[in-house]
Amino acid sequence: MRRVLLTILLIALASLQIIAVRKATFERKALPEGDATAYLIPSKLAKVTMLEFDGIAADFLFAKALVFIGSTKERTEIPRVKPWEWKWFNELSNTITDLDPYFVDPYYFANAYLTWEGGMVQEANDLLKKGSRYREWDPYLPFFVGFNYFYFDRDNGKASEWLMTAARRPGANTLYANLAARLAYEGKRTENAIVFLEELLSRTDDEELQQRYKVRLEALQGIYALENAAITYKQKFHKKPRSVDDLIRTGLIKEIPQDPYGGTFYMDARGIIKSTSNLMLSPQKKD
Amino acid sequence: MTTLWPVAMITFKEGIRNKSVIGIFLFSLFLLCTNFFMAGMALIDIGKIAVDIALSTVSLAGLLLVLFVGINLMSKDLDKRTIYMVLSRPISRSQYIVGRFMGMVLIIVFALLIVSILAVLSIILIKAGHGNENIRFSWSVVILALFFIMLSNILLSALSFLFSSFVSTSFITLLLTVISYIIGQSMQDIRSLIATSQTSGIEISQVSTKIVQVAFYLFPNLSLFDIKLQAAHGNPVPSSYLFWTTFYGVVYICLVITASALLFRKKEFP
Repeated sequence: MRRVLLTILLIALASLQIIAVRKATFERKALPEGDATAYLIPSKLAKVTMLEFDGIAADFLFAKALVFIGSTKERTEIPRVKPWEWKWFNELSNTITDLDPYFVDPYYFANAYLTWEGGMVQEANDLLKKGSRYREWDPYLPFFVGFNYFYFDRDNGKASEWLMTAARRPGANTLYANLAARLAYEGKRTENAIVFLEELLSRTDDEELQQRYKVRLEALQGIYALENAAITYKQKFHKKPRSVDDLIRTGLIKEIPQDPYGGTFYMDARGIIKSTSNLMLSPQKKD
Repeated sequence: MTTLWPVAMITFKEGIRNKSVIGIFLFSLFLLCTNFFMAGMALIDIGKIAVDIALSTVSLAGLLLVLFVGINLMSKDLDKRTIYMVLSRPISRSQYIVGRFMGMVLIIVFALLIVSILAVLSIILIKAGHGNENIRFSWSVVILALFFIMLSNILLSALSFLFSSFVSTSFITLLLTVISYIIGQSMQDIRSLIATSQTSGIEISQVSTKIVQVAFYLFPNLSLFDIKLQAAHGNPVPSSYLFWTTFYGVVYICLVITASALLFRKKEFP
């Protein structure tokens, strides 16, 4: 009899426990709490407190960075990531690479998101330069620095310097030296950007990044085709075309290429090919 | 040697039978399983994460072994008063300490060898599963790192023997060993922090600088034995480093065991 009573009590308590934990967890959500992104252990302190486990600590912090970026993909508000969150993400990447400066993943990851989305090109470059200092055999980190200078900062001189650094490292693509030399000349911006992006595309396994590069590449190829047609137009008729329609009318191109960003290509007053989308995804299309 | 060997063998058998050993083994197995998830998460540096987790597991297993099996071995004789029975035999107190320590070395080598084999197996499996050219760690440095982990755990165990030779309860021994471990692991970083204090703008008093200097020669510099990062990235470790660090480890172990034998001779049992 006693045994039966005890068993019943056990089952009752077990079910009560399940209800209690669900309730408490629910209540916990309403508690005002610090955001996970609000704090970060400074890297000097982290290096000392992690004892002999700094390598594995870097791995776990990197997982934290991955989870953070992944979680922002579910957000609907624009911008998806707040400026202070980008700042935290940058500091986190710095801590990870201070714990283990040879770990290459955080450099790639931080660079991809800080530049294209976060608008923190300077910070991304500082991070890449640190990595390049430690991973002195690795041609890709200086290549990224070069790309950022070329594409975001429009500083061909510095881009050329960093590409030369990349070209000198073992296993570097022979194209780097070529690109570095071409960047020394002004102009040919679209063509150079295409070469850069093709290399970036071949270097990434991340599907979202691949997609982003592909879209940008497609847009640039469209612009490049129009620019080439405009040059041919000028050689043929000894005057600048006034609009992209001039190019179609003279049969230099069959149709205006599609802008993958959802805009339409046009020619501005100075004869430069632009797009109404400004080569940015519109919020509607993003969803 | 003939008197030492039986003590060592008894200690080994006693230690291996300890239930904590099985617990530590299962814990390591669990950690090595997480290796497959963590390494899969990486975009490029898969080998780095695999080696990191594998080596850290071996390190942690060794630490737990020293703290929960090693300290128990020494204190059990004292707590249960079996020490009187042992010392009534024709064996000196120093021989008892050295024999016990040799047994503990056997336990550490045996247990860590098993965990190491499993750790290496997890790296091999991850490597085979991904098989890309980005895995650039070196096996020789990984093996070297495993050897250093073993050496540093033997050193820590020797320290715990030293503490138990003059402290009366095993809890205090445990505390002192943990403190020595933390100091030993962070010493290098704290020293370099002090060295760069001017440039980084942190103010450090003269007294603290002196304390760190004294601690540097008193406590073992365990971070010297930590070459996990080098192993994970395949950075070369020069043979002179291998020689001097091994030499330092062996000398420190001998020093500590001699000191504990001396102290143990003077120890009064309750």
